[in-house]
Amino acid sequence: MAISTATKAATDALAANPAPVSVGAQEVHRWMQSFTWDFDKNRTKYSTKYKMANDTKEQFKLIAKEYARMESVKDERQFGSLQDVLTRVDAANRVHPKWNESMKVISNFLEVGEYNAIAATGMLWDSATAPEQKNGYLGQVLDEIRHTNQCAYINYYFAKQGQDAAGHNDARRTRAIGPLWKGMKRVFSDGFISGDAVECSINLQLVGEACFTNPLIVAVTEWASANGDEMTPTVFLSIETDELRHMANGYQTVVSIANDEAASKYLNTDLNNAFWTQQKYFTPVLGMMFEYGSHFKVEPWVKTWNRWVYEDWGGIWIGRLGKYGVESPRSLRDAKKDAYWAHHDLFLIAYALWPTGFFRLSLPTQEEAEWYEANYPGWYDMYGKVYDEWRARGCEDPSSGFLPIQWFIENNHPIYIDRVSQVPFCPSYCKGESTLRVLEFNGKKHSFSDQWGERMWLSEPERYECQNIFEQYEGRELSDVIAEGFGVRSDGKTLISQPHTNKDGKLWTLDDIKRINCVFSDPLKAL
Amino acid sequence: MTIEVNGGRRGLTDPEIAAVIMAAVPDKPLETQRKMNYFMKPRGKRINEYEVLCCYSQPTPDWIPGGLDWGDWTQKFHGGRPSWSNESTEMRSSDWLAHRDPAFRWHALYVKDKAEEWRYTDRFLKAYSADGHVRSIDPVWRDEVLGDYLGAFGFYEYGLFNSHSSVVRDCLGDTLRMSSAMIGLDKVDNAQMIQAERTFLSKLVPGFPESTDIPKQEWTKGTIFKGARELVQDIWQATYDWNEILFSGHMICDPIFGQFVRREFFMRLSSYYGDNLTPFFINQMQLYFSQTKGITTDMFHTCLGADVEFGDYNNRLMRAWANKWLPRTVNALKDFMAIYATIPEIKGVSDKAAIEAALVRVFADWKRDFADPINYKVDTAALVKTVLSGLK
Repeated sequence: MAISTATKAATDALAANPAPVSVGAQEVHRWMQSFTWDFDKNRTKYSTKYKMANDTKEQFKLIAKEYARMESVKDERQFGSLQDVLTRVDAANRVHPKWNESMKVISNFLEVGEYNAIAATGMLWDSATAPEQKNGYLGQVLDEIRHTNQCAYINYYFAKQGQDAAGHNDARRTRAIGPLWKGMKRVFSDGFISGDAVECSINLQLVGEACFTNPLIVAVTEWASANGDEMTPTVFLSIETDELRHMANGYQTVVSIANDEAASKYLNTDLNNAFWTQQKYFTPVLGMMFEYGSHFKVEPWVKTWNRWVYEDWGGIWIGRLGKYGVESPRSLRDAKKDAYWAHHDLFLIAYALWPTGFFRLSLPTQEEAEWYEANYPGWYDMYGKVYDEWRARGCEDPSSGFLPIQWFIENNHPIYIDRVSQVPFCPSYCKGESTLRVLEFNGKKHSFSDQWGERMWLSEPERYECQNIFEQYEGRELSDVIAEGFGVRSDGKTLISQPHTNKDGKLWTLDDIKRINCVFSDPLKAL
Repeated sequence: MTIEVNGGRRGLTDPEIAAVIMAAVPDKPLETQRKMNYFMKPRGKRINEYEVLCCYSQPTPDWIPGGLDWGDWTQKFHGGRPSWSNESTEMRSSDWLAHRDPAFRWHALYVKDKAEEWRYTDRFLKAYSADGHVRSIDPVWRDEVLGDYLGAFGFYEYGLFNSHSSVVRDCLGDTLRMSSAMIGLDKVDNAQMIQAERTFLSKLVPGFPESTDIPKQEWTKGTIFKGARELVQDIWQATYDWNEILFSGHMICDPIFGQFVRREFFMRLSSYYGDNLTPFFINQMQLYFSQTKGITTDMFHTCLGADVEFGDYNNRLMRAWANKWLPRTVNALKDFMAIYATIPEIKGVSDKAAIEAALVRVFADWKRDFADPINYKVDTAALVKTVLSGLK
């Protein structure tokens, strides 16, 4: 065969310079944008009112193999720490019991968010037209699988090595019983995957990741560490290294629609709805998990919230998007009010419904009560004295026959569930911003706790039809519900959830609950 | 001591804090069942780490078979369509969470393999270039086949990659979702490896074009890939059933068209044309093909085809889908036959008899591994004959 000119040139080049040559990731990536082609049927399967630009670029220019290399290096560090030094020093048994319980919830609920983000970013990968933008979302799809596995690893580790495996070992089966689950599904599951694709991106990337992962994944590591938990910082900070790319994806989503006319009409409304959706759950739940789920406190939740949500996100991050017409959400001011009291209101209800959890809850100790009063003046008069009363009536003792939910009933303080956020609230006994609003639709009553959720429902009631737990369990006895939801330990009778973490305290059983004969009723039927 | 700690004090190492913590920790564990997901049915004898970390991570209501959750979706699409629904596929299952990657790869294991492949690729390319192997490649093979047609085949891989996006969004199970994302990533990796090879050649061979312009022209306007392009476009964008997307792509199109192009054309022929670079990349693609085959046969044969309640129905549906997608795949391969007219013929290697033998191998493999398990009757000799009619 004849040797072509190019072959001769290659031969000459090799003779002149035989240095080894390879190909770098960036050299491949720079051709990514040309990988697609136009054809008639090329359209997204998920409708959006926005038009994403065809030439949108991504900021982290990864190819598949380079992505794998980067993540693999991080995994080696992370799993090396967990399986080596942390195991050898018996770290899981040197965590404060209150925090051990918090991680049952935090890690499993974050896992749900990460899991649903796989599907969410799959939808965005489908919706984007620019190959680089698709590539950015694809990287996130894989990241979310990583994070799902990582969160699971926390529960797996605590179950295998720690002081109370119950709840860590079966959270995926028992988590659906209690009042925190459906609200979590709204923000971390359905809010990411059900709706206009760009609206879902705003929920996931612009608010969920750019705003609330900072307290959820970063701030939580300080609380964990203070309470003896070094597993969570090891894993969560590794997760956070990926979140930066996800925030960039959210930024690029906005950039891709910036020149679309629809953006000027809808973007700020969608952002406001997404922010309110996310904050409605995370503001009280994160504050509750940090402050009431720990013994050692890092700082009042309101300060953490102010720094990460109000200043960093509402000011700096959204400010950077200002040139694209993005404004701070109108609901931010109302959210700021919630950041002070809403988590205290929620803990009162969560503790009252403790048997439906998959974790142990504890009443504040004397020194914790003093800390709350010092940081939230007026706390004792509203909450502290109630906890004192509950403790005096024996709420921690299985033989007392007293469940705190009885206090709400005796004092005529009905607990409602907000239809849109699925977050429980007690309008007659709260210091947060919740007010009761009831609307009827298709012969069914719906309760709401704020104007923002009510507006969302009024616009599209068919999106928020989910039964709440009181409707679901109505007429059923509490121990039956717990048994059906597998809320018991391996002995088949002791509850996973308990109203204390005292190491010498007695543990409640299904029989203890059954004796009280607590039957669920739907408060909306009394209206 | 005060309960507010700051300044980075850590409970594990700060003696004062640690003492308080240890005083609160129970003297013995409160629960004896330490296995996470102990309640689930493992695929093997014991629950493995993959099953612990992946299974039931999806919050699925029990009215989607296999789900542990209950109740409704808390937010739906505009108009009220649910987040995930049984109606997203014609397939039926008594447990959508039953699938397992036969290699039990969760994320860390998956990226570890690929990271090693990347490092080895880098070392290989350096050794290849320093050794001057590129001098031995036949110029026609190098400039036309690798420059144009291998580049055009990258679009096939890229299109199939994109077909996984809606699967990742819509499928009904956690292990299904993770597997689908991984086999999707492998497809874009294939497309990127093809471009990496072309970029590498452009560094070694002055004048070799690394641009995607000509390959794209070949893919979009040429006749050799016309059938493949139309097939890929329909799998990617004209198919909404997520199971049908996976079935058409991984149980029909890729085991026939993809296998022939990668294994029987590029890999088998390259060494005859002095090219020992392309097999390096194609072998990685074939590894991914093999892993994907394990995954998709588990989905369609082990789970759906053998489903106690819906197995017969599912197999019937798969046969109907095969009827729909097989002719298009055969047509794509028939178009591809024109490529042989562009290369110098080597007796016993790229002549008609050799091509026929290659086709027989591919169709026989497909019949054994994909058609027979669903009892799909197929005349492979007739299919080979149809494809061969495309030879110029």
